[in-house]
Amino acid sequence: MSLIKQLWIAVAVVTALAFGGNLIIGTLSARHYLEQQLYLKNLDNATSLALSMSQLPKDPVTVELQVAAQFDSGHYRLIRLIDPAGALLVEREFAGVRGRAPDWFVSLIPIVAPAATAQVQDGWRQFGTLTLESHSHFAHEALWAASVRLFAWFLVGALLAGGVGTLVIRHVTRPLARVVEQAQAIGERRFLTMPEPGTTEFSRVVRAMNTLSERVRNLLADESLRLEHLRRATQHDELTGLFNRGQWLNQLDAALGRDDAHAGGAVALVRVANLATLNQQLGRADADGMLLELARCLEGLAAAQPERCAGRMNGSDFALLAPGGGDPGALAAELAAALETALEKWGERARLQVPVGIGAYHPAEPRAHVLARADGALAAAEQVGGNATRVAQPTDAVPAHADLAEWRRSIEHALDAEGVQLECYPVVSTDGGVLHQEAPMRLHLSGAWRRAGYFMPWATRLGLMARLDTAVAREALARIGRDGVDIGINLSPESLREVGFQSDLLALLRTHPDERRRLWIEVPEYGVVRHPAEFRALYAALKPLGCRLGIEHVGLQFSHIGELHTLGLDYLKVDAAMIRGIDVDTGNQSFVRGLCVIAHAIGLTVIAEGVASEAELGMLAQLGVDGLTGPVVAAVE
Amino acid sequence: MMRDRPRPLSEIAHVMRCGWASTRAAAVIALCWLAIGWVLAQTGHDLDRMERLAAERYDARAVETVAAWRELIDDAATLSEPEQLVRVNSFFNRRIRFADDIDIWNVPDYWATPLETMGIGAGDCEDFTIAKYVTLRLLGVPNERLRLIYVRAQLGGAQSTLSQAHMVLGYYPDPTDEPLVLDNLIDEIRPASQRPDLFPVFSFNSDGLWVGGASAPAAVATARLSRWRDVLQRMREEGL
Repeated sequence: MSLIKQLWIAVAVVTALAFGGNLIIGTLSARHYLEQQLYLKNLDNATSLALSMSQLPKDPVTVELQVAAQFDSGHYRLIRLIDPAGALLVEREFAGVRGRAPDWFVSLIPIVAPAATAQVQDGWRQFGTLTLESHSHFAHEALWAASVRLFAWFLVGALLAGGVGTLVIRHVTRPLARVVEQAQAIGERRFLTMPEPGTTEFSRVVRAMNTLSERVRNLLADESLRLEHLRRATQHDELTGLFNRGQWLNQLDAALGRDDAHAGGAVALVRVANLATLNQQLGRADADGMLLELARCLEGLAAAQPERCAGRMNGSDFALLAPGGGDPGALAAELAAALETALEKWGERARLQVPVGIGAYHPAEPRAHVLARADGALAAAEQVGGNATRVAQPTDAVPAHADLAEWRRSIEHALDAEGVQLECYPVVSTDGGVLHQEAPMRLHLSGAWRRAGYFMPWATRLGLMARLDTAVAREALARIGRDGVDIGINLSPESLREVGFQSDLLALLRTHPDERRRLWIEVPEYGVVRHPAEFRALYAALKPLGCRLGIEHVGLQFSHIGELHTLGLDYLKVDAAMIRGIDVDTGNQSFVRGLCVIAHAIGLTVIAEGVASEAELGMLAQLGVDGLTGPVVAAVE
Repeated sequence: MMRDRPRPLSEIAHVMRCGWASTRAAAVIALCWLAIGWVLAQTGHDLDRMERLAAERYDARAVETVAAWRELIDDAATLSEPEQLVRVNSFFNRRIRFADDIDIWNVPDYWATPLETMGIGAGDCEDFTIAKYVTLRLLGVPNERLRLIYVRAQLGGAQSTLSQAHMVLGYYPDPTDEPLVLDNLIDEIRPASQRPDLFPVFSFNSDGLWVGGASAPAAVATARLSRWRDVLQRMREEGL
């Protein structure tokens, strides 16, 4: 029972006791007073009647008349005269109707006023004994009327006290609601701070919780900053700040393994062909300055699209990874234009040769093939000389559909006719249990069930992701209901921004109160960083429904996820680029270990994506990772 | 005619309107009841207490009178009622001097208890009558045979027009008989018919004050408003 209800009952009981007690005592003391007065009236009237009878003639008519006169003009129950021998002389008794007081009241609160006696004298002789008793129903009527009035006052008073009490309770407990809210939020791993309420006790509690939240916030801020420094130190080139070769290749591996809107894409290699000559012509410092300028230019291109990244492969070679569908020719033009602007002023001082080779790739192609294709293109460009650009397409590069309109028709048709299919990959905890089944979607296109990488780049460009994500959520809930397993689904960042998606999703989840507790929902890190407000709003709405909430592909931008401790997350999935080769890469080991410390501090589960080997698996367990997914898990299964 | 009009009930109900305030009054009344109940429980027929009180309040002669009175009660207990009447009548007529209330008590009218009467050694007609009535009751004479009777006494012979309010004790050997009159004006106990100087007006005894046959009178706060009930109650407190 809630505190407010208990306090209200206490107020009601106290009020009832106070007013009810007063009612009872008031009625009883009034009854006592009435009884006394009635008894005195009996005594006095008996005496005065006896006195007057003693003086008057004693013939039966006169005696009877006197008794009758007294009885009829007064309020008596009984007047009786008996002679000294005990014989009845006159008697008058009231046998009339009751008064207005109800029977139960009369029997509950009887008024007992004893009869009085007096002696009637006939000269020296005794004439008789007079017994007189007043009727109590007048007293009862008065008592009843007074009790009813008192009860009315009691009701008014009790209602007033109850009303005032309720207001006071509401005032006193208003800060309590906020305290409870904060405590609940902390229970859900959302470390919020609140303004301190005025009530001393509540304010102490809130201050304690605020201190806790503040400490968590500071810890996370410090740790993620440290982690970012560490990551930069081990993954980035010293001079240019771009990824070093090792990490860039990791990113490429992760990109090739992707099965979402950014599956497929292109790799651009940029070479400063005559770096040795430039060093002589410009001097080493200026040559470094030129390289730095080139790096800024590539960085700018990388930042222009999500998921792109730039790296320095060796002294003279740079690389740009551009995942996601799209025309490699367009990338080539973009790159050429950017380079021309950046290197314009250097061209006046030295003869620059910066050939560019671009190799497009399909999802899941081997890395070596992709790199070889890009290298081939670069070699072709170098042959041309100058700042030439060459593009190499994969040999089987035949687009499935001719244009966007055809993609739209085909995807919508597939969605309506066959719906989505979920392919399950188990996510296991390091101690062996299955956490959930990660379920990327499949669509029936061009006569076969196609992986997400096949159609998602197009679906994203067509703005169909919200529809697809809703279909996936519906299918996942159905699967949970059917198989009783936990299922994890990915929401695309585009859906976050889609008007109506959130309400559709919430409405869907509300109709599945049992299934939604087994649903794990995740959004990629770049989506969180790019649309923080939408992400925050969606998760705040999802949290009370009991779904598990997480972020996937956590890695490069982890330190940009602001206020991680206020989101109420349940888990993080670490990007495959951070996991690849972790058994030997000490830099990434430190990163993952630090990430685990932070996540565990606020109660999050850490899951590693794309674990490919037993060696990686063993290392991850040592680093404190809670769960795994990837080829090695699929193989074990 | 001196009949009281009954107290109007509307006035009674008025008290209840102030129900809240009466809570305290009720508590006070309840305390008074307890106190009175305790006092009554301490009393009953405690003649030792009367003697002790006489010694505390009055002089040696008073103590001697009360002692003699106790002796009388012990002695006369076994006698017949007519003999008891004679003994009691002459005891008080001889021992107690007649005096008006204004001289003894400084008030126009005062009903004294037997202890006060014996202690001071003086009293007026009511005091004599009360003392005799109480003593006879102590000796076991039934209440219905005794009446305190207001009489008009004609002074100075049959032709005199001078009369005075007076009180005597009447003894009815049988309810339908004429009474014997115990009077402080003359020592002899005569039948009423032989007292042409007295004209009865009204009589009473303590019947009806003892509610439901209880030995204690209905002790309520208002009892002292009546002289008769007041003196009865004071007697109780003094050990009777």
